[in-house]
Formats: sequence, C-alpha cells, structure tokens
Amino acid sequence: MNAFLAPALVAVSMVVSQLILPGKAEYHAGWYNVLLVALVAVAAIAARRYFAALQTSRARLAAWAVVAGAVICAAAGVASGLFGADTRTYVGAPGQRMRADDLGGSLVFPFAEDAGAEVALERPLHRPIAIGGNARNAGSFILRARPREIVFVEARDARGNRLTITQPTGAVFLSPALLMQQRQTIAGMDLPFDSFAVPAARRIVKAVLLDPQQAAMLSQAAALPGKAAVLFAVDDENDRPLPHAIALSAGGRPAAAAGLILQGTVATYPAVEAVSSPALVAVAAGTLLALAGLAGTLAARRPTLRPPPPERS
Amino acid sequence: MNRSLVWLVGVLALAGAVAIFEPFFASNSRAPAGPEGLPGQAAPVFELRDDRGAPASLAAYRGRVVVMNLWASWCPPCRAEMPDLQRLADRYPSALTVVGVNEGESAARAAAFAAALGIRFPVWIDSAQRYGRLYGALGLPSTVIVNRQGVVARGFDGALTFDQMQAAVAPLVRSR
Repeated sequence: MNAFLAPALVAVSMVVSQLILPGKAEYHAGWYNVLLVALVAVAAIAARRYFAALQTSRARLAAWAVVAGAVICAAAGVASGLFGADTRTYVGAPGQRMRADDLGGSLVFPFAEDAGAEVALERPLHRPIAIGGNARNAGSFILRARPREIVFVEARDARGNRLTITQPTGAVFLSPALLMQQRQTIAGMDLPFDSFAVPAARRIVKAVLLDPQQAAMLSQAAALPGKAAVLFAVDDENDRPLPHAIALSAGGRPAAAAGLILQGTVATYPAVEAVSSPALVAVAAGTLLALAGLAGTLAARRPTLRPPPPERS
Repeated sequence: MNRSLVWLVGVLALAGAVAIFEPFFASNSRAPAGPEGLPGQAAPVFELRDDRGAPASLAAYRGRVVVMNLWASWCPPCRAEMPDLQRLADRYPSALTVVGVNEGESAARAAAFAAALGIRFPVWIDSAQRYGRLYGALGLPSTVIVNRQGVVARGFDGALTFDQMQAAVAPLVRSR
C-alpha cells in the first residue's frame, strides 16, 4: 500500500467514528485533535513524494482525492473537537418552546397528552427535525430523546375548586408540570426535588419524587405498592412552614396539606440530549472523496514510473 | 494548473470551510422572551371549554381579530385590566373578539369573577394552563393579539391600558 494511504484512511476512519460513536470525551482532548492533524500532515507529505513518481494525471488525481478527502474529514473532526460544545441535555416542560442557541434554533416540546408526539428542533431555513429515541443528525450535533420522570401537579382548595399553579423559579411560569431537576437529601436519600406556588392560596409547595420503595420507607400507610409517590410540603408565601403541611400523594391520589388538596402524577417525558459531532455534509463529502481516490489509486495497480533520465555518454 | 482551476479549488475550499465551521457559530436571532417573541407564529388552535361548559376554540374566530387575554382571579392587575378589555370588545363588535382565557382555575370561580366585573366577552377555561405554556407567559396578565389569518400579531407581558390596546388592534381591524 502506498505510504500516504494508511494515515489518510486512519484520519477518515477516526472522524467517521465520531459520527458512529458520538459523545466520547476523547474527541475534545488535545492529543486526539493533534493526532488527526498529524495524520493528515504525514499523508500529505508522503503523497507529495508519491506524486513525483507518477506519470498519469488520473493516478495523480486519485492520490489528490485521497488526501483532500482526509483533509476535509480532519478539518470537520478538529472543528467539532475544538469548537463543539460538551454533551448537553435540554429539559423542557410540555408545551414549552425553548430557545437553543447552541443548536441554532428552538426546541418545541409537545404536550404530554399528545400521544406519540416528539420534541422538534425548528431552525431558520431548515425543515423541523423530530427527535425520538434514535439519533438524529442536526448539522454539528447528534440529538436523541432521553426519557425522564416529571410530575404533573394539581391543587384544589378545600371546596374542590381547582387553583392556578405557577413556577416563579421554573423554566415555564404557568405550568403544572414539575421537571424535578434539583436534588434534596431526605433521610439519607438523594431525591429529585422541585417547587411551585399556588398564588390564590398564598402558598409555596415543595415536591419530592419518591420511588415505591422510598415511599414505603417514609410512610407505609400512604404509600401504594409499586407506585411512585410525591411528597408535598406546604409553606406560606414567605417560605415559613405551616402546621399539618406535609402529605404524600401516591399513584396520583389526592392528599390534603395545609388547606390544600394536592395531587401529584408521575409521568415519563422526553428530554433532548445534544452531542457535538463533525458536520455531516463535510464528513460525507470527505469520505466519498477519499474512497473514490482510494479506488482510483488501487485501479492503477502499479504506478507508472517516469523513465530514468538518459545516461550521459 | 490553469487559472480557472485554481479559482474552482479556492471556491470549493471556501464552501467546505463554511460548511464545516458554520454550525459551531450559528445562532438563533435574539427574539425577545415570552409573549413579545411570538409575533409571526401561527396561533395554536385546540379545543377548550368556556365557563358554561360549551366547547370553544380559536378556529371559530378565523377572519376576525382576536385579543386573547390570559388571566386568573387571584391576579390584581388582571382584575384592573378587565373593564378596558370589555370596552375594547364593545368598540369593535363587528371585527374583533376579546377572549379571556382563565389559567388553571375552576369554571365556577372564573364565571363568578366575570359576572362580578360585568364581563360579557367569552371566558374560556384553560385548566391545564396550556396557553400559558405555549405562549411562554412570564406572568399574568398576558395578552396575545391574533390577526384575521390566525397569526400572532402582537404579544404583551403585563397589564395594558385602553390606549395601548387600541393602538395595537387598530391597524389589524382596518386591514382586510
């Protein structure tokens, strides 16, 4: 095999692997990107020597194509490695349109009631991309939906009138969906935690998500076997604790606390994981160019060497 | 290598560089947050119930200008704004509809509130607070004005005066 082919093809393979196995920390490491550049540099230098020995323009073009393809792929790989953001998870509330500047657009989270609906990435001058469980390429990112647990809450007064839920510190102000992104330690357990306000009752409510075993540990009486539960703690509007203000809502059953009837229903809802990757178009173009060049180089099985210069008599 | 080939290679290299690096520096236009960033978007249409339990939807008002006001009975600025909204509805009865969308409360509570203030425009009950989420409301009240084609023309966070309401709807009411 010609000396320039191996480093060029290794460089292309490394970048293609960034698309196939995205999200590895190595891709952002200095040594990885230096290695990519070094491989391409070695390929270019070796190819230059090889060109001098070639006579046909077709063989030269094929060799150039291999090196050019490797350069394009390596540039895409290094750009992703050096400029690409770290892996990031976008957690949105049902119905929320979240601006995602890193992705060059907005993520539109569907209502939980819309069965089968997927999160969509909307970008100017692009078709919307539906993001499901399978990886989707979006330019310089690979996106996939990751299910996580959220809690839908309902609050009523003692007469059963439904009350508005607000989240002054949440991602969406008027939302009954708690995203449970914070953590709190209770009885030695590290648990998902969130809070909301019930302005009509001048109450602030803290909510902690418990799995069935944790719920049973905290309250055998209120827990339901096999059902996740939500522990509510109600404070006044100045965050001061109130009497009889802690209740457990298991399996979506209502629970009374500090004059409110609270109901927490645990549901699975998608978040979007965005992994930086080399630009798909560039990698595809570079790989095709390199493969075409490889085919051309192999077709010219034995390179035609220039005849030696005539000996001086 | 002849001149034209050099140009071709240069242009291709430039295009390649743009393709490779552009995504890392691409950024969405800085639209304002909340309802003020909505203009130009199609107003979402889905069915709700009004305060009497009848089905209600924006689709029924296509061809009219719609002023959607998101409110709740516990919100003092919402209460203050209601008479001006009724005045606006009375001012343009043939071209404009004001809809009060109650966010998260019971129909009985919303109906009692509307009756106490003498509100005659339609009151819808958005118990799941869907419009609040879709319109990215930053607080209550929030007002969204939808043109005759069903597209959001203006979005406002906070209470409006009658003059502000009129200035926002007048060009839409005049246009066909």
